Amino acid sequence: MSAQPVSVLIVDDEQPARERLRRLVEELPGFSVAADCANGADALPLVGKLRPAVALLDIRMPGMTGIELARHLGTLEQPPAIVFTTAYDEYALQAFESHAVGYLLKPVRRERLEEALKHASRLSAPQLRGLATPEQPLAAREHVAVRARDDLKLIPVKDIRYFRADQKYVTVRHAQGEELIDESLRQLEEEFARDFVRIHRSLLVAVAHVASLERTADGGYELKLRGETEPLPVSRRQVGDLRKRLTSR
Amino acid sequence: MSKPGAAAEAPSRIESGAAANTLAPAAEPSSDPPRARAVSVPAERTTLDDFFIPDLCATRSVFVVVLIAELIAVTLSLARPSPDFLTELARISMFLQWLGLTSAALLCYARPLLARFSVPRASVGVFGLLMLNTALLSEAALWVGGSLEGSGLTALFPRDHWSFLLRNEGICVIVAAMLLRYFFVTHEWQRHLRAEARSRIEALQARMRPHFLFNSLNTIAALTRSDPRRAEEAVEDLADLFRATLRDSHDALRLKEELELTRIYQRIEQLRLGERLKVRWDVAQLPMRAFVPGLTVQPLLENAIYHGIEPLDRGGTVTVSGRVVDGRVELVVSNPVAPVRAEAAERPGNRLALDNIRQRLALAYDEAATLEVEQPDGEYRVTIRFPYRE
Repeated sequence: MSAQPVSVLIVDDEQPARERLRRLVEELPGFSVAADCANGADALPLVGKLRPAVALLDIRMPGMTGIELARHLGTLEQPPAIVFTTAYDEYALQAFESHAVGYLLKPVRRERLEEALKHASRLSAPQLRGLATPEQPLAAREHVAVRARDDLKLIPVKDIRYFRADQKYVTVRHAQGEELIDESLRQLEEEFARDFVRIHRSLLVAVAHVASLERTADGGYELKLRGETEPLPVSRRQVGDLRKRLTSR
Repeated sequence: MSKPGAAAEAPSRIESGAAANTLAPAAEPSSDPPRARAVSVPAERTTLDDFFIPDLCATRSVFVVVLIAELIAVTLSLARPSPDFLTELARISMFLQWLGLTSAALLCYARPLLARFSVPRASVGVFGLLMLNTALLSEAALWVGGSLEGSGLTALFPRDHWSFLLRNEGICVIVAAMLLRYFFVTHEWQRHLRAEARSRIEALQARMRPHFLFNSLNTIAALTRSDPRRAEEAVEDLADLFRATLRDSHDALRLKEELELTRIYQRIEQLRLGERLKVRWDVAQLPMRAFVPGLTVQPLLENAIYHGIEPLDRGGTVTVSGRVVDGRVELVVSNPVAPVRAEAAERPGNRLALDNIRQRLALAYDEAATLEVEQPDGEYRVTIRFPYRE
């Protein structure tokens, strides 16, 4: 036991729960608590700064669920290993079991915690996607995470005007500017189908930000967005769908 | 009635900590108008799956139809004093098998249509179809018999046109009536069994949300070392709460007891949620001696916390208020709703609890009690009203 202790981050919205986990982890040889915090928004900068090896995430938290937080962390270059904690969550448990994702039931037993921390591993993208449940549908992601060096920056989905697919990356155009993310347009389209509509092979637009659909001189269509000077091209194939979405909003 | 501002029934210790305006971010105005939600039954599902006439196209049903037709054939042949029993049986069987199988096919195809009607109307429809089918087949038998005139097979076919037709229709009506009755009774019995099983589970879940139980145990596990005294209190509170839920749910309580239980419940949640949970009690005007069905107020607070406060980052204030209006006790529990997850209140758990309270009220007061849900901007409000009895 000469190596550095494995650092653990604890995220739980309930103070007694954090306190107990912290005590249990501190008592385990070879592990130490890097920090604890009460929600996902606080957790992201802590992960960037402290680089914990393992993150213990509560599932049911206000603002961002533990599962959404895990997805954001998964976009980091060196994401921490994830272990979820929950008091009772029948849907989530089924998903964890079937995708071999580590979890702990509260009140957590010391032996189980030790076991889980020792075997905690980074979650793969398919594993994370597999965690969709009726209670926590993945479509409910409320932020998109953008990697900035070691840090993660969160863009609220409601601020996003459109996604544009370039060669390899997807550009996120939002109220404050543009960012690159490493996700596929097709998956984004699936995930945000409720609020976004495909208008072009490479463009996915937020219905809420659309100002008007206009005809161009050459008989095509273009879309104007609020706050954007440059109109976006609309492919002929998507005009019908787009019209429907605009009239039904 | 006591004056406004009269000494409130112990609300002070509960208004813990910060002022009430540390409320969550202002809620987005919801486009939905406030509405009272009625218990709605999904119309689609109830039609086919829950129709009293079974699916007669299934292999097993076809076999049963063949069997029944044959049994009737045997009965009819036995009842007829004929020298040649087997010929009689063959004759009747041939006709009845045709009739049975075509009728089953007809009902199978007509089932989706019939399922849209009420039981009496669907039954009339079934009678009509079966009688029509019997008439057609009888005519067909007469016609085939007529065209075989002179051959050795004539003996197998009926001759007396009207008597044959009318006797067949008579038998058809009686058998159809017996079958319909059988279908109906079997169906009702199965439905009863299902409903009973379901209500037992729901009653159990409504009594204690597992989420609450395990979180409370976790909190107590944390407190055992950091604050043993509070841990001890929490165990006592939890015991009281469980004892109350194990009591016969039909027992009426005094309002005072029910509110006490609700406060015990709040105390446990307070340990877990701390500053995030604030409850404003405005119940000074309630007659504490009034009777209330057990566990009507506590589940409302539980709902408000689970669906309202917990999803809010900075928590919020649940308001429990009550008074007597026109001889009826009126209790209102309202909570703020997180803007993005306005739909969270629609989750099944919530409806389950509300349905349960509704049932309990109906059991105690029939039509005289009501439960109403409103969703004005950024708020979720449940109002129950029931007759004031002492």
